[in-house]
Amino acid sequence: MNKVITINLGGTAYQLEEAGYDALRAYLETAATRLQGNPDRDEILSDIEQAIGEKFRARLGSYKTVIVTKEVTAALAEMGPIEDDSAAEESAGAEQKTHAAPEGFAAASASDDTPRRLYRVSEGEMLHGVCNGLAAYFGFDPTFVRIGFVLLTIFWGMGILVYFAMVIIVPRAVSPEQKAAAYGTPFRAQEFIRRAKAGYYESAKAFPDRHARREWKRRFKEEMRGWRASFRREMRMHAASAWGPPAGGPGIGLTLPLLSALQGAISILWLCAIVSVVATGTLFGAALPVSVPVWLVVVVLILAFGILKWPIKAARRACYYGWGGTGSAWRLVLLVEAMVWLALLGILLSLMCRFLPQLLDAARNLPGVIHEAVNNIRDWWKTA
Amino acid sequence: MGIDEKFTAIRKGLLEFLVLKIIAAEKVYVADILAQLSRTEFSTQEGTLYPLLSKMRREGLVDYEWKESDAGPPRKYYELTAKGREQLRDTLDYWGRISGNVKNLGQK
Repeated sequence: MNKVITINLGGTAYQLEEAGYDALRAYLETAATRLQGNPDRDEILSDIEQAIGEKFRARLGSYKTVIVTKEVTAALAEMGPIEDDSAAEESAGAEQKTHAAPEGFAAASASDDTPRRLYRVSEGEMLHGVCNGLAAYFGFDPTFVRIGFVLLTIFWGMGILVYFAMVIIVPRAVSPEQKAAAYGTPFRAQEFIRRAKAGYYESAKAFPDRHARREWKRRFKEEMRGWRASFRREMRMHAASAWGPPAGGPGIGLTLPLLSALQGAISILWLCAIVSVVATGTLFGAALPVSVPVWLVVVVLILAFGILKWPIKAARRACYYGWGGTGSAWRLVLLVEAMVWLALLGILLSLMCRFLPQLLDAARNLPGVIHEAVNNIRDWWKTA
Repeated sequence: MGIDEKFTAIRKGLLEFLVLKIIAAEKVYVADILAQLSRTEFSTQEGTLYPLLSKMRREGLVDYEWKESDAGPPRKYYELTAKGREQLRDTLDYWGRISGNVKNLGQK
């Protein structure tokens, strides 16, 4: 159940869902700013309002009296961003006219109301533009995204897998419209983060005074640190004998890669499960309950994976400390593991290419499904 | 850089010319113009067209009149002014020369 807001567009009343109303207001506000300095600004705005109204009317029927949020965004996408270069042209004169093309592109890439989509962006790419595209999508500096991927690869072996999966799945921004969409911002990831932060500070303010708040923060951090340290100590001291290889057994040389392979296999199974859920809506052929949205299943899968992975990770750590390793050499083990990971990945990819060419088709359909999930979460976020 | 992309600026510049041509044929309202353009490489959206039309009206190339519609409020129907007609003739001439040059240059 969503709240409905009644608005007046060109003399006709329309009922919109609240989130849709927000989207429409944002669109019209951007339009008004864009048209700043245009002598016909008010007239164009009323034309645009009327055109939106017409699009809404086409979506209504005798039993359907409310425009839902999805329909508002669809209508706004049909309208397209307001592109008005007459004001700029008149004031800037002839000099800028010779640079019309790059200027037009800059306007398109900075536009605020094209739907933002995830693309690979070629301008300034280093490999295939994945990091660049992600940076555009979330509004970060691409360098940070690249560093993140490199760190993920070194310490987890996962970064490179994600990267090449994205090379296959994420389309490249080719047309200027797609390029603009790669940077566009109606759904702002930053906005999401800002709201989360605002919520956080709001609850933090509920503490009676600043001193108590700081004290609480300090204690919380200390507890977390202490818990982690004691976990590590536990591993080193006792768990080694409980979980580690029996004395005289095959030893670390065999157990550790085996455990790594096991973890790798589980990870791949998990990835396949996620792909299967997202691409076909079923979990390896088993239908999901209708009332459960796909994104929720994915979240549950991620949690389940974390829980399943934990004991294996603990056992590997225990095994390693049982062998007498020190903290600093652990990174080396992780590096070796990354290699094991890559080998598994290679096997998986070759199997995929040989036996399941249709998997690639499923992968191509992914972006749409992901977008739907993002939209669902956004709607939920806005109505919550 | 794809061909589509190379011609972005040219398409953008030609839009005004094409809108003139469409309006010259008959009195149209914005949805008609969009529908005709949507079948071509020049497909565009209201967000671009409304500011363009208002600029053309300011320059005295087009004018509009309100007409009742059977579905909803009255609509603005655009038509060419005398100045607009003249501009269309000039542009057509100019375009003829350009496309002739494009065709002939480099041929022996």
